Parts: sequence; C-alpha cells; structure tokens
Amino acid sequence: MLVTWPYRRRGSFLEAFDPRARLLFALSLMLSTLFFWDARVLAGLWALALLYFRLNRLTWRETRRAWLFTGFVALVFVTITFLTGRGGFEVYRTERLLARLSLPLTVFGWTPAVNITVERMFFAVSQMCRMGTVITAAILIPYTLDPTQYGVVFRGLGLPDKIAYAMDLAFRFIPTLGRDAMQTMDAQRARGYELENIRGGPLAQIRRLAPLVVPVTLHALMAAEDIIDAMDLRAFGVGRRTWLTELRFRRHDFLLLGLSAALFFGSMAAAAMGFGRFWTP
Amino acid sequence: MAPILEVHDLTFRYAARPRPAVQGITFSVEEGEMLLIAGPSGCGKSTLLRALNGLIPRSYRGELQGAIRIGGVDPRTWPLARLSQQVGTLLQDPERQIVAADVLHDVAFGLENLGWPRARILERVDEVLHALGIAHLRDRPTFQLSGGEKQRVALAGVLAMAPRILLLDEPLASLDPQSAQDALALFRQLHQEGHTVLLVEHRVEDAMKARPNRVLYLEEGRLAFDGDPEAFFERVDPTAVKVPFPVWLRRWPAVRERGKPAVEIPPADPTAPSLVVFENVSFGYGDGPDVVREVHAEIRRGDSLAILGPNGAGKTTLLKLAMGLLKPRRGRVWVGRKTTREQTVAEIAHIIGYVFQSPSQMLFAPTVWDEVAFGPRNLGQSPEQIETHVRWALELVGLLDQARSSPWALSFGQQKRVTIASVLSMRSRILVMDEPTAGQDYRAYMQLMDAIAEIAFGPTRAVDALVFITHDLDLALSFANRVWVVADGRLIADGPPEIVFSDPEVMRRGRLVPTSLLEANRQHWTRTGRFQRAERLAELLQGTPPAHPA
Repeated sequence: MLVTWPYRRRGSFLEAFDPRARLLFALSLMLSTLFFWDARVLAGLWALALLYFRLNRLTWRETRRAWLFTGFVALVFVTITFLTGRGGFEVYRTERLLARLSLPLTVFGWTPAVNITVERMFFAVSQMCRMGTVITAAILIPYTLDPTQYGVVFRGLGLPDKIAYAMDLAFRFIPTLGRDAMQTMDAQRARGYELENIRGGPLAQIRRLAPLVVPVTLHALMAAEDIIDAMDLRAFGVGRRTWLTELRFRRHDFLLLGLSAALFFGSMAAAAMGFGRFWTP
Repeated sequence: MAPILEVHDLTFRYAARPRPAVQGITFSVEEGEMLLIAGPSGCGKSTLLRALNGLIPRSYRGELQGAIRIGGVDPRTWPLARLSQQVGTLLQDPERQIVAADVLHDVAFGLENLGWPRARILERVDEVLHALGIAHLRDRPTFQLSGGEKQRVALAGVLAMAPRILLLDEPLASLDPQSAQDALALFRQLHQEGHTVLLVEHRVEDAMKARPNRVLYLEEGRLAFDGDPEAFFERVDPTAVKVPFPVWLRRWPAVRERGKPAVEIPPADPTAPSLVVFENVSFGYGDGPDVVREVHAEIRRGDSLAILGPNGAGKTTLLKLAMGLLKPRRGRVWVGRKTTREQTVAEIAHIIGYVFQSPSQMLFAPTVWDEVAFGPRNLGQSPEQIETHVRWALELVGLLDQARSSPWALSFGQQKRVTIASVLSMRSRILVMDEPTAGQDYRAYMQLMDAIAEIAFGPTRAVDALVFITHDLDLALSFANRVWVVADGRLIADGPPEIVFSDPEVMRRGRLVPTSLLEANRQHWTRTGRFQRAERLAELLQGTPPAHPA
C-alpha cells in the first residue's frame, strides 16, 4: 500500500485557498527564477518563497531532512560550478580576478588551482538563490497538499482522469519507495552488508549496490502490478469518473491566481526588457 | 432456481507456463450459499479466483477453456464495470487492495469509477461503513490503520459496489487471531444477510468458523473434493490440511505411520547463559511516542522463543532493537558482551541471524547459491567456509537442487526457504525469524519448522537459540519452549506456553484466541506434563479414556 507524505493541517490562513491555486503559486515562484541571473532579484524571490513557506506554518524541525538533503545537493552543484568556473560562461564574458589559490603540488606537470573572481562569486550566489527558491517552493508541496486531493487537483488542472490518478499514485509512490528502500537496507544490513564499506571502481561500486537496488526495484514493479489489479477489479478507467472531492475556485483563490500570473508574466516581461540580467557590483 | 455461478470444465494455462494451473474444474453455486475453497499452495486457488473475477483473461494472458456463467450469462461478454458489480474480490493482502490515501476515498473508489453522483456515493459509503462497524474510521489515512481495520476498509470498498458474489482470497493471512475471529464473524454475518460468498483459505480449521455450506478442495489444479464440511474432514489428509484436534485424534491411527518423528524441544532453562539482554528498553520513531516500553527480558541459550501479539504491538521493533538496526531511546540492549551501541549491525550479525518477513525485501542475486553466499561473504568467511556453509544451509531447507535457479523463479514458499538458508549460512548463534510460516500451506510450514527445530535441537545443535514472531498460536504451542506476548509496546507475558496460554488476561490483551489444540492440551496437561504438538498429544492420548475437564 502506498504511504503518504507527512501532511497535516497547520491552521494557516493559506489552507482556506484552493490547493490548485496554492500549487500554481508555488510553480510560478519556481518558474520565475528562470528569467533572472541578478542575485538581488533572485534573493528577493527566495525571500518571497521563504515568506510563503513561513505563512504555511511549516517549521524547520519537521522539514529538516528534506532541507539537509536538497541543500547538500545544491551546495555540491554550486561548489563544482564555482571551482570549475564553467557554469557562468554564458552570462558573463570577462572576469575580475580577486585571488588565485593553488595547491602546493604538481600532478604530471599540472598544478591544481582555482581563480576567485567577482563574477564567479556572484554567479554562485545567484545559483544558490535560484535553487533555494525552487527547493523552498518544492518542499512546501508535499507538506501542505492534502494527499486525498492529489488526484482531483491534477484533474482540476485539466489533466484527464487516468493521468490525474496516475499523478496521484506517482506522488505517493515516492515516499513508499523510500520506506521500501529502508526495509531492504535493514534486511541486507542484517546480512552483514555495509553501504559505507563499498569499495572498488565505479562499476564495482554499482554492482555492490545491487543488494539494495534489485529488491527495491522488483518490489516496486510487483507493487505496481498489485495496484493495477486492485484498480481494475473496482472498474477503474471504464468511463468518465466522479471525483468525490469537489474543488471550486472562490474569490480569494482568484486573487492568488492573479498574483501567480502577475509574478510569472511580470518576470517574463521584465526579462524581455533586459531587467534582471547578471549583475556584479 | 438456476445457480448464480456455474463453472464447467474450466482449464487455464498461463502464457509462460508449460502446464495448466487449473484443469477440468466443474462446480456450481446457489444464490446465498457460502463455499470454502481450500487447497495447498500452488493448487490453483488463485487462478480459479482470477478466472471468476475477470482478471483472467483481461489482465493475465494464457489459454482459457471451459465455461463460466454468472446468472446464466458468460461474464467474458461483459465490460469490467458490469463484472465488478457482479463479482467483488477481497484480495489476500488488504495492503494491495487499498488504493486511496484515506478511508472515505478508498471505499468510494469503485463508485467514483462507475460515475455515480457525489451525494449517492457519500450515502452508500456511510451505509457500508456503518454495516461493517467502521464508521469511526471514515476520515482516517489508510496507511495508519491496523491489519484488521485495513481488511474491513478493503471489504467496505468491495461491498460498496453491491456485488452479487463475494470472493474472499485468503482473508485471514495477515491478521492476528482475534482480528481473524472478528473477520470470520463478519463473513458469517454477510452470508446470513444473503450474500453469496466464496471463501478461499488454506487455514481450514479457522475458516470453518464462518460455517460454510460446502467445501471445494483443489489439488494440483484439479478439484479433489466437493461436499459438506463434515465429510471433508473425514476425507482430507490431516498432515496436508490443518484440521480441528478432535478430528486429528480420530484420524491419527491412519496417518501415524507416515509421520516422521520430529525432534523433541526440551523445556527452556532459566539458568542458561544469556545471549541477548533487554535492559529497561524503550523506543519510539522520530519524535513520536514510545512503541516499545520498558522491556526487560533475556534470550537465553536453549530458548525456542515465540513472540506473539497484535499487529503493530512492537514485536518486529523489538527484534530490530536486538539486531542494532534501531537504537533504544532509553535503556540498553546487550548482545554478547557489548551493547548494540558499541557494535555495528554487521558485527551483531555474527551472533544474531535475522530473517525478515518478506522475501522480496532481500532477494537480489542471480542464483540461489549466490544469494545464500552473500551473508557469509559479508562476514568475511573464507571461500572454503562459504562453500561448506552454503551447501549445508541449502541442504537443510531442501533447496540444494535449486542452487543454480534464480530465486525470483521459485514459489513463495521456496523463496522463504532461500531467505532462511541465506541467514543460516552466516552461522549466527541465534536464528531470528519474522513470521517464518506466512504465505505457506500447513504441510510446507510444518516441514520447514521441523527442519529448523532439528537445526537447533537436533544432534548438530547448529544454533544456540531460536526466536520467531508468529500469529499462529498452534505453531508457538508446537515449536516454542518459551513465549513472549507483546501488547502496546510492553512485554505482558514471558514464560512457558503452559503458563502464558493459560492466563485469560494475557490471551485477551494479546488478542489471542484458544484453538482446539490448545483446549485439548489444557484439558490433558496434568497427564502430559507439558503442552504438546498435535502428533505427540494424539500419540499420548491414543487408547486412553477421555479425560475430564479440569
């Protein structure tokens, strides 16, 4: 059976809004970041996302794991871009050198070194703000969207019945996969398997992951087959279905939708007019 | 009146298999009848069910011959929507049946698919929830329900569609004894209300409590018996199907010669050295409440310890604490001379070999041999040791001839044996098994448990102690010399089966229900000295006049 994300009602005024409006606002926040490279604008968007996060009454404590994981991935990404200096070539052409740090060793005549430039630093800040905004808006979704409404939300956004229900299942499949992976990890650790001790080259390392990956994958496939059988036996997909939950936009929802549209199209227009390009002091 | 269901000469062969799964099956069911369909694992019960509910031929490809008629009509001509309103299926594992995130939406799922108006759906859902006594669960998330609750919710989802025929596929498999008892009472009630019920169950003794009108018994895909329950008990092989103890006693002389003498499990020795010690252990997940509370107990050399209790009581959590997979919130768990905080799980695996409940959680290797060699390799055994231990373990579980097969190509019961061999080959001192008999038929699991008892208490004494979690009271009675009952995270009983199973308060809190074997053991305890498995008790009682109840 599929488990759900840790959703609960938090008494936030935003819960009075239609879940579709809230989802679209989170999406407009994420998409708006794509139009800018100016760290000041992106910092503003991130601040807006954090404010929205706060207004949803989410706490650091309950979302800590999600933050740590996504934050780590983002940091690795930004660091690699910063060290290689390759990511920003499209947004700046010249670089002002602040310092050059090199390691006191030579490998086959090459000395590992990194140039610290104003452009690289500001590019890294912009990148961090952009990813921060996306992460903040993305973490919100599973914690604030009622799992009983996933399907009807996607149906209400115009997807056909089957696709909407598939999205519902896919959304709940992610935490289920996490639970199954933990169970398999426990079962294999009890057989002396230690993930931290995996050694060897990349291929050998992938092979050593098989005890974890194979059961989780096969289990997921079998579970999917079970779900299909269970749904078939209850006449899923035989015709147009009724969705028990009825979603209706009300006046305040249109306000939030308007805000989302203004944010997205405003950002698009601003970018078209040359606003928000890469900036350094 | 014409029968509601007619099956004539039904044969089906799955596309990938050389032999038919069911062959020449013919029977009919009158409206309002209740049928028990029984048979060992792999006898074709599930295939027959799939043919009746339309998954064959819609979802499972193969060669189908013969005829099925529901109310005189061939259901293959119906769309699935119509068929699902004629035949409702409760799947074996309610976890597989529940698709929605909360109870209301799950029960409503079928009606939503049929396109009923909202108001009518809500009315019908409330009606069914009330009828099944679970109206209070209406707004609960489905994944938070207990095993018994999940099953009622799954059943509500089926009944909401008002099918004419109800198919129940091994509905007792994942339930604790009291929940199973409640489920059987519910099925009986449905039958009395006029539903036509086909109950597929290999726990025949339990299923009889639902008072079916008839029994169909399948063997190797063929119908071996079709008749009334009394006649069934006189015909069936009691070593293949678990029958009530009085029947067993009556039939014993005829089957005695075939019974292989099993190893005797001596009583537990309270002075034997401790292997695992729980020292006032409490544990909870994350910031949640304690799910294991102040457990203070020991596992000792020579123990064959059965752990019983309701679903979600904390039995598996307790064993994961011993394995070091979870660390206690308060208190300590000693394994050998160190606590679980002072050693890695891999180090503890030298002492405790833990077989998880579901084979699909751990099988990964291309061959059975590689699968069984995985643990010993991780523990750093030499190639010679690995060779010896893998061979030994596979021989013990009777799978040496399958060493080159893929574990995924085996039956569920065989996969279960592979998981046990995978842990045995590590040569840990304690063998711990979470529901070792789940999903296997009576004969298969009794043979498996006999082999395991032989490992621990036979001449080789290859392990120092056995620990197993089970819902099957008779299994505990037959193979344990010590019983723990866990309820609500607490260890509410620890002692020999004779003491623990004679305490009505422990039985009630542990959601345990007396069986015919337990009743017979209680009745004759003063004479037999200790609780005995069915064969031994029958042997002891043969030729002696019936005892008076104590």
